[in-house]
Amino acid sequence: MDIKDLNELRGEFEALSQRNNLLGCEDGSCVSDEEAREDYPDYLKAIYSEIMPPVKSGIYFSRWDLKTMASQLDESFAIDVRERMFKNFMQWIATPDDMKAVIGEFSKLIDMKCDIYRDYAKRYPASKNIFDTKIDKAQKAKKYLDKVYVEFFT
Amino acid sequence: MQEDLKTEQLARVNIYALISRLLMNEVDEELLELILKDKNILSFFPTFENWDKQKNMSAKDLIEKYLNVDFTNLLLLHLVPYESFYMREDQMMETGGDNPVQKLYNDFDFRVELDEARVMAGDHIGVELEFMYKLCEAEYKALEDEEYDIAAKIAEIEYAFLKEHLVEWAPMFLLNVKNEAGTAFYFDLADVAIEFILSDFEYLSRLKNDNYSYEKGIK
Repeated sequence: MDIKDLNELRGEFEALSQRNNLLGCEDGSCVSDEEAREDYPDYLKAIYSEIMPPVKSGIYFSRWDLKTMASQLDESFAIDVRERMFKNFMQWIATPDDMKAVIGEFSKLIDMKCDIYRDYAKRYPASKNIFDTKIDKAQKAKKYLDKVYVEFFT
Repeated sequence: MQEDLKTEQLARVNIYALISRLLMNEVDEELLELILKDKNILSFFPTFENWDKQKNMSAKDLIEKYLNVDFTNLLLLHLVPYESFYMREDQMMETGGDNPVQKLYNDFDFRVELDEARVMAGDHIGVELEFMYKLCEAEYKALEDEEYDIAAKIAEIEYAFLKEHLVEWAPMFLLNVKNEAGTAFYFDLADVAIEFILSDFEYLSRLKNDNYSYEKGIK
């Protein structure tokens, strides 16, 4: 075996071990530090998973709702996949004041929907418990947004 | 069957049939003409009745230029008319056998032809309303045959289905339909659908409180 063969063998070994490392990483346990930082749940992911699901916040934020809220802040983006629109809206935030304004828009919409829920609960008492639960969730969602502001922007 | 009970039950059957049909597929000329000619049905669409475009355009033009566009925007493109989206934390639609309503449909031999209905899953709002329509129809027939125990059992199922499914999620969806409607027709449809679902739940709750005794339930 000459030196050329040895180098080729080393190259093959390194390629194989790199491949094995990748295969062994399917559970995400051996991601690099840089990748791990990228995957770290920031406020964007936290808000998406806590506020956007109707089952958690009691409110359905549609694509048009996102577009309308953004337009109130003189921001405009195209109708797209809902999650992507949400990300675009969040990525627009550059300063604590921007975040405050975004939270203000979410809160306005939440309050508007809760007023409608209260009206239905009053006119249709059999549904009161269902609407009350939604209102509770919505109030918690507002508090969560305030908490995100304090934790990430102050 | 008493006349007032008969009238009330028939109204429930007809309203469920109408709103399920309109939220499942685009309106056609025949149905639109029927709505416009029948004063009782038209009373559910007060904004549409006075809408200038409705007054000045033929049914065909109205459908092609406005109503179909609005239906596509609201029920196919921009909003999500499926229960699982509103009930799951991951906001995904459940299109398989684990769909929350599929087992119930199977128990009652309610078959959903997804292709024919042009929906992706059985928890589409139009399908859930059609299920209520079928239940109300069966309840009506049982009452006609004076099979009050059977009718009461069906009413109990209706109550549970509204409580656990439609009342829980449909208002969230329909409120957005109402807010985002581009035509008076779909604005009114969303409004009447919310009000009817909630008022029917009110009726069924009263019936439940009276142990599903129809004599008391209709007062």
